[in-house]
Amino acid sequence: MKSRPFRAATLAMALTSLTAFAAACGSDGSAEQASGPVTVEFWGWAPGYEKSVELFNAAHPGIKVTYSKISPGSKGGYTKMLNAVKAGNAPCLGSVGFETLPTFAAAGALQDATEAAAPYAKEYAPWAFAQSGVSGRTFGLPVDIAPMALIYRKDLFTKYGIAAAPRTWDEYAADAAIIHAADPNAYIGYFGNDAYNFAGLAWQAGAKWFGTSGDKWTVNLNDPATKKVTAFWQDLIDRKLVKTVPSFDTALYKGMGEGTILSDVNAVWDTPILADSVKQTSGNWAVAPMPVWDAAAPATGNAGGSPNAVLKGCKHVKEAVEFAHWFGTDQASVSNLIKETGIYPAALSGLENPALHQPDPFYGGQTIFDVFKESAGRVDTGFRWGPVMTKTSGVLGDGLGKAGAGGLGLDAALAETQAQTVAEMKTQGMEIG
Amino acid sequence: MSPSSVATRARSKVRTGDTPEPSRSKAGPARRRRTDGRRWAPLGFLAPFGTLFAVTFVAPICYALYESLYKLHRSGLGLAPPSEVFTGLSNYTDALGDHAFTASIVRVVLIGLVQVPLMLGLALVLALLLDARRTPFKRFFRLGFFLPYAIPGVIGGLMWSFLYQPDVSPIADALGRIGLHVDFTSDGMLPWSVGNMLTWGWTGYNMIVIHSALKAIPGEFTEAAELDGCTGWRLAWHIKIPMVRPALVMTTVFSIIGMAQLYNEPVIMKAVAPNLAGDWTPIMAAQNEVAANNYHAAATRSVILALVIFVLSFGFMRFVNKRGGAQ
Repeated sequence: MKSRPFRAATLAMALTSLTAFAAACGSDGSAEQASGPVTVEFWGWAPGYEKSVELFNAAHPGIKVTYSKISPGSKGGYTKMLNAVKAGNAPCLGSVGFETLPTFAAAGALQDATEAAAPYAKEYAPWAFAQSGVSGRTFGLPVDIAPMALIYRKDLFTKYGIAAAPRTWDEYAADAAIIHAADPNAYIGYFGNDAYNFAGLAWQAGAKWFGTSGDKWTVNLNDPATKKVTAFWQDLIDRKLVKTVPSFDTALYKGMGEGTILSDVNAVWDTPILADSVKQTSGNWAVAPMPVWDAAAPATGNAGGSPNAVLKGCKHVKEAVEFAHWFGTDQASVSNLIKETGIYPAALSGLENPALHQPDPFYGGQTIFDVFKESAGRVDTGFRWGPVMTKTSGVLGDGLGKAGAGGLGLDAALAETQAQTVAEMKTQGMEIG
Repeated sequence: MSPSSVATRARSKVRTGDTPEPSRSKAGPARRRRTDGRRWAPLGFLAPFGTLFAVTFVAPICYALYESLYKLHRSGLGLAPPSEVFTGLSNYTDALGDHAFTASIVRVVLIGLVQVPLMLGLALVLALLLDARRTPFKRFFRLGFFLPYAIPGVIGGLMWSFLYQPDVSPIADALGRIGLHVDFTSDGMLPWSVGNMLTWGWTGYNMIVIHSALKAIPGEFTEAAELDGCTGWRLAWHIKIPMVRPALVMTTVFSIIGMAQLYNEPVIMKAVAPNLAGDWTPIMAAQNEVAANNYHAAATRSVILALVIFVLSFGFMRFVNKRGGAQ
């Protein structure tokens, strides 16, 4: 009698591992290259990338780019790329977010493309080109960026007697108090748990979370600039002047639809998401520049964007970089990416693209990209990402959630993120200066 | 043709043979060959299982053990490919020194201590009610209680997370109207909320297992007991429950294993409860390390979790066997 549960348990476990095994085997290897034109394999997931690849192939007989759509990076795509590098069958190019590129670099998964990329440097937003590499080495070329702005309910701001959107964070805090005093159910905005949104806020304040000094990484997640940001939001949380809800959650959009959450400080890619989530309030929204710390020297932040990076083992670095540059700068490709993918281009020429000059009815007929273009020009150029961002963003997101729930101070959350990031880097054998 | 029928026919041939001498000399080698075949046949039948077991079960465990003894070493910024270095048990001291990981183990054990007895108690009571002779609408109740198990766990989790989310929860809203302000996503409530999701999803399944065992009790036992005046709850306590003890032990062991592997429910809950840490359960912690591209740390955490499950389930079996022996 006593062995029966165990046989069943063993069988259950065996079945479980069998399923996992089958799932792992579902991914196929890389396609063999034919003789003739140079073949560059490219992995990505965003819709519309395929079309740009087709456009490139039609115009470039000497290079054939084969595109494979994989799972989005954070949903397994990055793991797939890293495993492919380990197995020696990685593609030449991969779509790798700015925040993840140093992780790839520190895993030895990227191929140096400094020489091939150097001639193109001036055609991109300077920080975006810099973030496509680590410590002076370039590993790819940027496709898109995500400057931030204040997306707000213009009608309700007016209703509560606020004529113009806040230009500085001081004004934001003052307006927060006015709105909440006028209606105890209404809040100027919210404090969410999206680590990368918070990173954008710290970035704006001039934080230097990561860097390199010689052969070592530097980690300063609780530097003075970040402390300025945490103190500001902790104060608003403590005075209950902002709502604390999870980012991108039903509760957030419920509040925004009902008119109890009046604004969102977010990146350009959030504008269609918001428009989709609170359709019933169409026409009442507007976009204003991100509130700044110093009106005399306005700086903004960025939350997202990605380069196409050259992966280790690529045999045609020059061609891969040529394609990556064309992909992110060619007018036809950029127009396609703006339309199909919804990107905001990292190429300076892309900012002039006519597709970015359409008035948007959800935002009361405003040409919202004008605001983002201004923001893109003011993004602080010194911010760098670290080599274990999955860990860092995970711990930070947990900390922000706990801080929102009132269980932990924001300063403590950042200190914890610092400690866990350093610990993770040490277990992965990295040197910290 | 099965090996036993071959053997039978060979035997009958020998038996019917009129002249034993030549027949034996002919049948001798043939019989030996058949006996050899018979010896190897079971292994042949076991081969598919053995292969799959080795490939999908033994090999991954060995590989995890192997990985857990190594660490990545990089030089400088790590821009060159890292090398793997044997570091003995240093990954284990790291993992056990990671207070978030040890806390996640303690957390699932504590949730299990409360949730498993509650769920199985409920399942047992429901099974006994279904088994009682006078219960009306048996089929309806049996299907009704079992239904949550038929709903995929993830769907059930999504449904519950909407019911828990403070701003949209109808339950919190209703409780608020009578003056009870409950936040199902607060730190203190999270284990209870997750425990409730598990109980909702798995009680029906366990009930069916116990109910099947109850149905297998021979009618003479209950009849004899009833003739002696042992009916109702006394019948359940003295006759039925001792008879379904093996089923209870089995469901408990399954529940212990399931609890230690808690993953779906808290991960889904996280969408509405941002204060739920990303390493709330041991599997979530291991999964985090995979996402961080630290396979050695992930393997170490998996091995530790496997050991914990081993100790808990075998410990429970030994405990009940000792008790069983004393009876």
